[in-house]
Amino acid sequence: MKRQNKGQIRIVEAFLAVLIIFSSFAISANLTVTRNITKNDDLTSVGLQSLLKLDSDGSLGKYIDDANWSALRDALNLILPAGISFNLTVYDEQMLQVNNAIISNGAFSSQEIAFIEYVCASRSPIFHCYKIHLYLAVAK
Amino acid sequence: MPAISVDTFFACSLMVLLVLSAMAGASKLLYPHINSAVDENVAERYREISKYMLLNGGKPSNWGQNGQTIPGTFGLAKAGSDNPYELDVDKVSRLNSENIYALSYAQIFTALKISDVSFRIEIKPIFEVAINLTATFEGANETIYQFEILTEKNGALVQAELKCYISAENHFEAKNAYASDGRTYLNVTIPNDVTGPAILTVFARAVSNTKITSFNACTFAHKSAEPEPKGTFLRLSPLNYTLTASFISPEIVLSDAYALTFNYNSTLMQTASDNESATYSIPLFLDSSPTLIIVTGWNSTNFFTEWTAYPQLPLQTGADFASSVTLSNVFAFTYVATINSALYKCTIWLGGPKE
Repeated sequence: MKRQNKGQIRIVEAFLAVLIIFSSFAISANLTVTRNITKNDDLTSVGLQSLLKLDSDGSLGKYIDDANWSALRDALNLILPAGISFNLTVYDEQMLQVNNAIISNGAFSSQEIAFIEYVCASRSPIFHCYKIHLYLAVAK
Repeated sequence: MPAISVDTFFACSLMVLLVLSAMAGASKLLYPHINSAVDENVAERYREISKYMLLNGGKPSNWGQNGQTIPGTFGLAKAGSDNPYELDVDKVSRLNSENIYALSYAQIFTALKISDVSFRIEIKPIFEVAINLTATFEGANETIYQFEILTEKNGALVQAELKCYISAENHFEAKNAYASDGRTYLNVTIPNDVTGPAILTVFARAVSNTKITSFNACTFAHKSAEPEPKGTFLRLSPLNYTLTASFISPEIVLSDAYALTFNYNSTLMQTASDNESATYSIPLFLDSSPTLIIVTGWNSTNFFTEWTAYPQLPLQTGADFASSVTLSNVFAFTYVATINSALYKCTIWLGGPKE
């Protein structure tokens, strides 16, 4: 009888092995870092291009000189592709915030946020230099 | 068979099952990451190709201006421009199939010199203008038409200044309007002795930035039959600041031609004509706006109005990826491009076989 039951331990061993290895798969699947398909470079490129287009005729500097934050927000809203959230902050040479209103089209719900730093010079008779920080994310 | 052999057999079977499951699981886990890496390389390559199309002028650099020239190398950038993503008005117009000098897909594909990539190019204004005729009030001497004009981007209304032109036979009028919340109503009054159909042309300029201008046109019946679809009587092909109006039928007699922008308008002078076509010189307006061209005329006893834009937008050219997305890697890249100081949205789709 004892001899007949000798092989049962191998079955138990095999089940244990299956359990351990499948558990390791289940745990490792959760530990795997998910690689984002949407590349940050795309957002950066789109954002930088938008700022360049606004700056090409001096509009960007004029918005800031005139403190016309709503027009700047509307212009960015139009130029940026649909479904992209942005938040823009304007700083002066001493890195003091210039805009006293929020220049944004909504809260960010994405974990992937692109950051663009852009230096803009206004064309008014009194020369001003501004540093612009633009954050972009794909709206979800 | 002894019990130990049966146990060993079951144990071995389980181990084999375990190994096979592990292999399947591992491949399932790793596949998206391997595939994603391949996709990223493909996307990066396609992104560079799309940039190349917009940042290079092609060869010869003035291939857009001469309708007979087939480019040896494809590129849409304006020759000698210092600004990135500034496109040539003629090169863009030659992508539109309405233009008699349009390049075919095969010609662009050959000039692009990348044999494993299919493409589609779409260029259009950054926002849209919709014109709807909402009411007609007929009087004894004149008729009033009420239009609803919407300016919107992806369904979101856009605050815009409007410039409207109304033209019919021996009738031309300009009006200003303002769409404060992206929607306005415009009343157009046309005397009843004017022959229709008439055309309402609308330019919309975003309040936030004067370089963002859109347009649309609407032909409507006025003391006439319903207007025929665009391109029924004439094929309009603007190129190198010359408009070629090709007659679709032989009984056509042209009347007036106008060039319109947001701030300016002008009557076009006919420079040549024969039995098949007529040419007009298009003035270069220093205005951040596309130029809309209107040509009126008679087809035997019927008055007609035809229009086109210069640059000849909106346009879509290239392969249709709608049905082949599952068979190929298709990536879309969107850019903001400048044509004659105005901003436009340019989307390039590139696709190739799945790797």
